[in-house]
Amino acid sequence: MKYTIRQYGMFVIALLITAVFLFPIYWMITTSVKPIQDVFATPPMIFPETIQFKAYIKNIVEDQSILLYLKNSLIIAIGTSLLTLLLALPAAYAMARFRLKGSGIFLLILLVTQMVPGIMTAMPLFILFSHFNLLNSYVALIIGNTTLALPFAILIMRPFFLSIPRGLEDAAVIDGCNRFTAFVKVVLPLTKPTLLTVGTFSFLFAWGDLIFALTLATDEKIRPLTMGLTKFIGQYGTQWDGLMAVSTIAAAPIIIMFILLQKYIVSGITAGSEK
Amino acid sequence: MEADTRVESNRKVSVGLQFGPFLKKSLPKYLFIIPAFLFVVIFMLYPIFYNIFISFQDVTIMNLKGDKSFIGVENYRQIFQDERFLLSLKNTVIYTVSCIVFQLSIGFLLALFFNQQFPMRNFFRSILLLAWMTPLVITGTLFKWLYDVDYGVLNYLLIQIGLISEPINWLGQQSTALMAIIVTNIWIGIPFNMILLLSALQALPSDVYEAAKIDGASRIQSFFKITLPLMKPATLVVLVLGIIYTFKVFDIILIMTGGGPVNATQVLPFFGYELAFVNFKFSLSGAVATIILVILTVISLIYLYLIRKEESM
Repeated sequence: MKYTIRQYGMFVIALLITAVFLFPIYWMITTSVKPIQDVFATPPMIFPETIQFKAYIKNIVEDQSILLYLKNSLIIAIGTSLLTLLLALPAAYAMARFRLKGSGIFLLILLVTQMVPGIMTAMPLFILFSHFNLLNSYVALIIGNTTLALPFAILIMRPFFLSIPRGLEDAAVIDGCNRFTAFVKVVLPLTKPTLLTVGTFSFLFAWGDLIFALTLATDEKIRPLTMGLTKFIGQYGTQWDGLMAVSTIAAAPIIIMFILLQKYIVSGITAGSEK
Repeated sequence: MEADTRVESNRKVSVGLQFGPFLKKSLPKYLFIIPAFLFVVIFMLYPIFYNIFISFQDVTIMNLKGDKSFIGVENYRQIFQDERFLLSLKNTVIYTVSCIVFQLSIGFLLALFFNQQFPMRNFFRSILLLAWMTPLVITGTLFKWLYDVDYGVLNYLLIQIGLISEPINWLGQQSTALMAIIVTNIWIGIPFNMILLLSALQALPSDVYEAAKIDGASRIQSFFKITLPLMKPATLVVLVLGIIYTFKVFDIILIMTGGGPVNATQVLPFFGYELAFVNFKFSLSGAVATIILVILTVISLIYLYLIRKEESM
């Protein structure tokens, strides 16, 4: 494709907008690899002169507490993805395929609950879980995060199932499948892009969660990285290199997943707002 | 009499006939949806109603597992008399309105820009979303570093440009803290607004523009006469979504200021959190949650009305 000079001009403007916009993320990463005296240099060093990984070594190798936070974040985020898919997939399918009484109301409930702030559900869940001795468990955090991911998941999966031609499963049923095996054998293989979109989003929601980590887990042993970060803020208020190193570690999975799954993330955001 | 019993027995037979097929034909269909339905009822609807219920009781950490007494609207009276409530309501409104105004207008301008053809357009479009995807805890920490009074890049740049003469403690003083948080959230929200408006722009019918061009309309004319009116429904939906998401602000407040200095950045969700998890006054927190719910219900109703109106068009 040939571009005009005007279009290359727009390319430069786009580059500038992106640079200004992503500067905070750039600043986080470069701060984490600068020697401490360069971190506090005046004028601020936009391009790092020396690159070193002391802050990382100090916070991963010497002090290993962050590894536990990382493990917890992974368990909670993967658990949330799986639980969300497990609940949303059949529900969205059934709502798209069958005439179910009350499914309109269910859809309405999902729309409204999606709008309720997580912090509003935190207190009742805290009391509920305290009755069942579930506070400070992965289960509590996974359930908490699933309350945020589930409405989104069903709302973007249902239109997807509506777009799959019905004849496919009918043919499978004629060939001797029942509704369930038709779903598993014929429909599921087609849903890969949607599964990826929903899985990624639920993972990212849970990975970034602070509200449930803060309220449903008081035990350091199961707290995720987001809470680990707040501890760093209190403890080393001025040690910006360490804080930025931990922030970069916490942001890394997001950045990697984002680069790998861009297409699915963009389609998820637009689909989520349309329904 | 005889006829009646026959009808009765017929009905029994038919009920039996219907129930059998129901078990066989309909129940499996409902089995697909029951797990999600139960989850929503127990973990999402129950909390909402529990908040309302508890707001009329007197529940603190002391009597959580014992007897609770109904005290009517006493909690609400207490909340309305608390000066922090009015302050946090005011801050929430200021925060939401200013975030939305800037996010939406800048997002719209960027959407128009990125709707044009140029090299690597799609790459730029999606990479901007990284700002929105980054967990709020990290964004909050990042901006705290940028705002730092001694070593923050922002103060340095502003002094260089000549806008300020000495470093400002953006997050540390009452007059600027809320504004600093608003700027942070505008940065977070712009890509989200942009991507939604962009997908709406791309769905606009191109033949209308061609017809206008043939009729001699200038680019500016077709923007005001075609683009803006056609974008109205999508913009309204983005607006309402934005209000709902912005109203939820919690994470960046906790990270950046903790509601301070002197309540300058106190907002409703944070106020509710403090009542429940710092002061352990669960009923008062339930009352705040219920007030938030009422406000959000009104906004949600507007949202539902808007999408219904759009669907019927």
